[in-house]
Amino acid sequence: MNNLSLLMDGFATILTWNHLMIMVIGVMLGMLVGVLPGLGAPNGVSLLLPLTFTMDPVSAIILLSCMYWGALFGGSTTSILFNIPGEPSSVATTFDGYPMARNGEATRALTLAFMAAGLGALAGVVMITLLANWVAQFGLKFSSPEYFAVYFLAFCSFIGMSSSAPSKTLVSMMLGLAFATVGMDSVSGGLRLTFGIPDLVKGISFLVAVMGLFGIAELMVTTEEGLSFKGIKSRIRIMDILRTMAELPRYWVSLVRSILIGIWMGITPAGPTAASFMSHGIAKRFSKHPERFGKGEPNGIVSPEAADHSAGTSALLPMLALGVPGSATAAVMMGGLMIWGLTPGPMLFVTRPDFVWGLIASMYLGNVVAVILVLATVPLYASILRVPFAIIGPVIVAVIFTGVYQVANSTFDFWLLLFFALLGYLFKKLDYPVAPLVLTMVLGHRAEEAFRQSMVMSDGSLTVFWSNSLVSTIMGLGVLMLAWPLISKVLGLRGWRQRLQRQKPQAPKSPTSDSRV
Amino acid sequence: MTHNGISRYSMEIATALLTGAIGVAICYGAWQVGIGWTPSGPDSGYFPFWIGVLVVAGSLVNLLRTVIGHRHKDETFLDAARLRSLARFTLPIIGFAVISLLLGLYVGTTLYVLFAMRLQGHYAWWRSLASGIAISICFYLLFELVFQVPLLKGPLEHALGIY
Repeated sequence: MNNLSLLMDGFATILTWNHLMIMVIGVMLGMLVGVLPGLGAPNGVSLLLPLTFTMDPVSAIILLSCMYWGALFGGSTTSILFNIPGEPSSVATTFDGYPMARNGEATRALTLAFMAAGLGALAGVVMITLLANWVAQFGLKFSSPEYFAVYFLAFCSFIGMSSSAPSKTLVSMMLGLAFATVGMDSVSGGLRLTFGIPDLVKGISFLVAVMGLFGIAELMVTTEEGLSFKGIKSRIRIMDILRTMAELPRYWVSLVRSILIGIWMGITPAGPTAASFMSHGIAKRFSKHPERFGKGEPNGIVSPEAADHSAGTSALLPMLALGVPGSATAAVMMGGLMIWGLTPGPMLFVTRPDFVWGLIASMYLGNVVAVILVLATVPLYASILRVPFAIIGPVIVAVIFTGVYQVANSTFDFWLLLFFALLGYLFKKLDYPVAPLVLTMVLGHRAEEAFRQSMVMSDGSLTVFWSNSLVSTIMGLGVLMLAWPLISKVLGLRGWRQRLQRQKPQAPKSPTSDSRV
Repeated sequence: MTHNGISRYSMEIATALLTGAIGVAICYGAWQVGIGWTPSGPDSGYFPFWIGVLVVAGSLVNLLRTVIGHRHKDETFLDAARLRSLARFTLPIIGFAVISLLLGLYVGTTLYVLFAMRLQGHYAWWRSLASGIAISICFYLLFELVFQVPLLKGPLEHALGIY
């Protein structure tokens, strides 16, 4: 069967009233967490995950992925109307989105952003449709050493591509791997790293970690900075929307370029945030009127949005086909898959094609639903931000605590939550990246299993990771990524990292300041 | 401490020491279960041990970069005003955790929202209390009735006969 007919089967699976309802609910909830400070996509998905344990996997993944789309859109809304990025990946949207809205063209700015985002997401899904089977086929060739090499590559590219100091990224990532090993050892069945604490026998859930690191910690940073929202009143008029849609083809160069950047950064684990910054920077550099950027230039809205969403969508391809998520949210979803009893990776395409193609089909539909819903409900969500933080903050904290309790009905997790909140707070204030910790926590078991199986295969010799051309290539790429900060320094390359750093001072103090979500 | 609060320099060092200590604990825990080679492959402590070593190594680099490079010496991590607003936010959360352990999440939520709104927003007692109770009821309806996931309950719920 070719991809197209598989996709049609997927549509047949999801086109029920039940699933459409779930999509609408997912997008609405996603927009809510995207708009609220301190609650982002990874956190929202973590909170919702325990409630999906009893759902069937197809409905559950539709709910979670639609929440992801909704959160991406919600983040752009606050960027444009309040100059506050609800998501780190929408920081670049504030550069031109907020000035345009302040000039009285809020509807135009929002429509440009949402349409570009929708097109970006669509391009990402088309790419997934075309490549998914091929990548999965390729993945079937993998055995344990190749798998470990892929994880190694993912970890190395974190160190190489991160805007933080490599040693800080290393610490954050390795802590995640270590937390994943606490509890029962899945190979020998013995306990380890529990230090005699019975509550640690069940291990440390990545969900608790996400809620502490991304939830409470971000609220702590937000409170400290003392948020006051000065929003632009927005009334959405249909005529303005239609007029803006008609002007969209004018920006096709920016759109195509940004989508390509987004897809590339989404598949490689560079993530949506890097993609949107890079795309905005490149649009400015190649523009005939770079001086207009930062004052409400349409290309400056279209570019980061298209890149952000195409990267966000593309991040699901490596998660589905190889079991390596491209973003923190994708990592949480992948953790969900494992909880529902599915193993992400190439075999999923063979064992559960209904799930895989149902998800891909829901991505087409979910993004269309999201664009329509977001345009219809912008005023509603904008009004939520006018509720004082002294009310919203405590409610979010209470929701997070109930969410943590639902993960394992364990009160010990409250203390773990506070520990992760402290860690997240320190990390955020001291420029340690947080997303790698979550990714490695989800991947830890699989990475370790791949490593140990490889060791068994080779009788303890590390040469197994260089034993054939495939695994050597992947390992070689990993080493290259690891050395990338050094290489770029030697070659004097001025990559997006420098551009990011130069642009950072312009960005408003954001409630969510992590580099990869 | 600098004259206007906690310096970033000292927090960088403290954090590097914290992550380093966690790294040492990981190595020790892994060493306890065995880090060698068994007939069925690497021992269960093998992988975590080397992860722990990397954590320690990374923390050491962070520590040395800060100390030797004199990085962030003049930056402020937290000044007194920010510390106060942070404490107003964080202390109720710790209280929330303790009360929830003793009295369950519903009582915990009510009291937490009450005090957080009082402390951070200076709302009137009755408004804060009403918000707390309203949110607890919302949680009950949403979690227990709609999603059928039970939350932690304490003596009050037992006295009222709610399970």
